[in-house]
Amino acid sequence: MVQSKRQKYLFLLFCLLPTLVVFVIFTIYPLFNGLYLSFFDWSGTGSVKTFIGLGNYKELLHDPIIPKTIWHDYFLVVTKVIGIMIIATFFAVALTQLKVKEAPLYRVIFFFPNIMSVVIIGILWQFIYNPDLGIFNTGLKAIGLGSWTRPWLGSMEWSLPSLVLPSVWAGIGLFMLMLMGGIMNVSKSLYEAAEIDGANQWQQFWRLTVPLVWPQIKTSILYIVITTLNGSFVIVQIMTQGGPNNATQVMGSYLYQKAFQEFHFGYGATIGVMILILSLATVLVLQFLLKREKVEY
Amino acid sequence: MKLGRILMKTVIRVPLIIWALAVLYPIIWMFLGAFKSNGEIFASPWSLPKVFNFHNFVSAWTDFNIGTSFLNSIFVTVLGTILSLCFALPTSYAIERLQFRGSKVLFNLYLSAMMIPMVLGWIPLFFLLLKFHMIDNLWALSLIYAVTQIPFSVFILTSFLGTIPKQLEESAAIDGLSPYGILFRIVTPLMMTGIITVSIMNAVNFWNEYFMAMIFLQTDEHHTLGVAMDLMNQQAQYTNAWGALFAGLSIAIIPIIIVYAIFQRQITKGMTEGAVKG
Repeated sequence: MVQSKRQKYLFLLFCLLPTLVVFVIFTIYPLFNGLYLSFFDWSGTGSVKTFIGLGNYKELLHDPIIPKTIWHDYFLVVTKVIGIMIIATFFAVALTQLKVKEAPLYRVIFFFPNIMSVVIIGILWQFIYNPDLGIFNTGLKAIGLGSWTRPWLGSMEWSLPSLVLPSVWAGIGLFMLMLMGGIMNVSKSLYEAAEIDGANQWQQFWRLTVPLVWPQIKTSILYIVITTLNGSFVIVQIMTQGGPNNATQVMGSYLYQKAFQEFHFGYGATIGVMILILSLATVLVLQFLLKREKVEY
Repeated sequence: MKLGRILMKTVIRVPLIIWALAVLYPIIWMFLGAFKSNGEIFASPWSLPKVFNFHNFVSAWTDFNIGTSFLNSIFVTVLGTILSLCFALPTSYAIERLQFRGSKVLFNLYLSAMMIPMVLGWIPLFFLLLKFHMIDNLWALSLIYAVTQIPFSVFILTSFLGTIPKQLEESAAIDGLSPYGILFRIVTPLMMTGIITVSIMNAVNFWNEYFMAMIFLQTDEHHTLGVAMDLMNQQAQYTNAWGALFAGLSIAIIPIIIVYAIFQRQITKGMTEGAVKG
């Protein structure tokens, strides 16, 4: 145990410093520099970077596309939370409470889309929505609802809702597993006691499962919200590129378009700041709304 | 009562089976399409290919840049995963085991980065790379990938380390082993399970990553699979090479299927734990 203070100190530096340095350079510095850039009018070349104060923010407030992108993002947040939570909870309860023999098989299959590349998911779903070949339109024709067929991703009204299904499809598995973990931690004796007291399955679910699994439910909702606000643009970029006519434009895809396609890097950074503020504010509000006393029986 | 249970189970199975089919349908469709000619794909999307020919795979690999991208993806995945571990393991050890002032603050700094939208940072990052002539450079992309996974890796590794008793490290220290020896020869082998979980999760992430690769890489010869598939998909509107596109997607997904088959438990564990951080 003969270690000088100096040696200890050096070891600590060895452990922490390299990681912290790369983290500062590639994560913290870019975020703050992004904030800094949002006060400039800049097309990317060094010479014409002019300080315009809050000019970009004023432009943001008057940009007619910005409210659309915000609305689209929150539409995806709400529909994804509802869709994923209902289906994932249903499957989690079904696979844990009712002793289905082949439960592990479902678990393996349902989870797989979670580790698929978003690019592959997007391309496959483009085919599912394909007006001529896709299962949606051929299925509708087959059951005599040919008048309901439409070019799903090319339609102004239906393109945005059409993006929800792939996200739900790809997300169910993870949240089902998280909820299953919570349910399996609930002691069996509680369900037995409830059964003896005459509570039916429905009552058991609302009075027992939901309160006891609340931490997992809360985490799942927050996680869906964060990943959607911070990453919805990836599937948008692959499936619709924000179109048709901005009908699926979300905040992130608009940032990409403004910064990397139209070279308004200052304005792009301003959109980035908006995403940052909105997503942090949403998480704070949600954390407050979803707060519940910890329940123990 | 008994009859009711059996009936209930049957009813419950219906949605389970439907969802399982909904998950498998596009994936199977993709594999079938990879063996078909364009004519077959358009004529009858659901039929089995008449002959299983590998023409599409050859075409995707050579004519559509999937071969090069495949190798590039392997490069960034392997390098990114190794770098990520090199960054995260010593830091996790220090945060969990060495009492130092500010360890809590540092941990929270890394943790909070998991909630921050990184899009904002991509603009400065692009110009940072440009300045150092590292745009379109797979080494730089691997480094950036590794850094993005530091928070997740630190989070999982510290919590894993918390479950390992300290005795071995303490007795090794009494025997006069240096702290470096303790970290690399005692702690690292003990943490293998955690290290494997983290590395697989990181590798899957890097293999699938698309957006940063699209921004930071520019030439065909450096594209990774995500970018190459996206471009192929966009070109297919004009080239009509749908069969080759499906073959390309199949090539990209096969490594994921293999990894999932082997490490299914670690992957589900890693992902569910990674999400539990709110």
